[in-house]
Amino acid sequence: MSYLVLYHLTALVLLGLGIYGITSRKSLVGMLISVELMLNGAGLALVASSRLTPALDELGQIGTLLVMGLAAAEATLVLAIILVVSRRFGTTEVADIATLKG
Amino acid sequence: MDQPTGIHPVYWLYFALIIGGGTVAVTAKSLVRALAGLIITFFGVAGVYLLMAAPFIAIMQILIYIGAVTILIFFAIMLTRSSEGESGSESRSAKTGRIFLSIWSALFVFLVMSAVILRHMPEPLPLKPEIAIARLGEFLTGPFTLSFELISVVLFVAMAGAVLLGFERRKAK
Repeated sequence: MSYLVLYHLTALVLLGLGIYGITSRKSLVGMLISVELMLNGAGLALVASSRLTPALDELGQIGTLLVMGLAAAEATLVLAIILVVSRRFGTTEVADIATLKG
Repeated sequence: MDQPTGIHPVYWLYFALIIGGGTVAVTAKSLVRALAGLIITFFGVAGVYLLMAAPFIAIMQILIYIGAVTILIFFAIMLTRSSEGESGSESRSAKTGRIFLSIWSALFVFLVMSAVILRHMPEPLPLKPEIAIARLGEFLTGPFTLSFELISVVLFVAMAGAVLLGFERRKAK
């Protein structure tokens, strides 16, 4: 088994853990943590692909940098949304936020 | 580590950090503990970047993720309360049926994609020499100028939107 396969399997483990977390967590903050896990897996796969295949080296590293920037922007917005939701509903449990439920 | 014959033991150390931290991050009952697990995972991933001779990305991982994103999540934990009035923990535990479904969906994605990876992964090259940060900067301001500008616009809009959302309640009062 080569390093390339191992790095990609590591990234896949992060993706699997993130999917498990985002579907089993009950609070918005827990889901945010799972999303960050999945984004980390994406960055890992990008850098591994660009470092160990004939792909352009800068492409993967700059791509990962952009993913990190997007993750920071997303975390900022989700923090603001969580604050608004917790003020309006008094909770951040996803099951209790059911205004749109018919 | 330029030949793929034997796997260096340091890799398994980082792999254990990533798996252990990630498992804590998705299963811990207390959200602060989950966040600590997430930080351990971030350190593991930064170590793997170092193993791949991409030190700039490793530094950025530590600065942006461990320095900024986890602090934001910590604020989100501390500024909200669960329905039982206690901040930082999930009040009700998930039902077993739901946990079973979650495990199944994660396992399904993992198995399908790892089968694809194991079958179709191209033959890896030995690790390329490390590229200079100046080269990355040239690339970012040359062919990647548009994405560079776009990510700054996205960051600005996200910050402005967060400030707007935070102000909303006070205006209504």
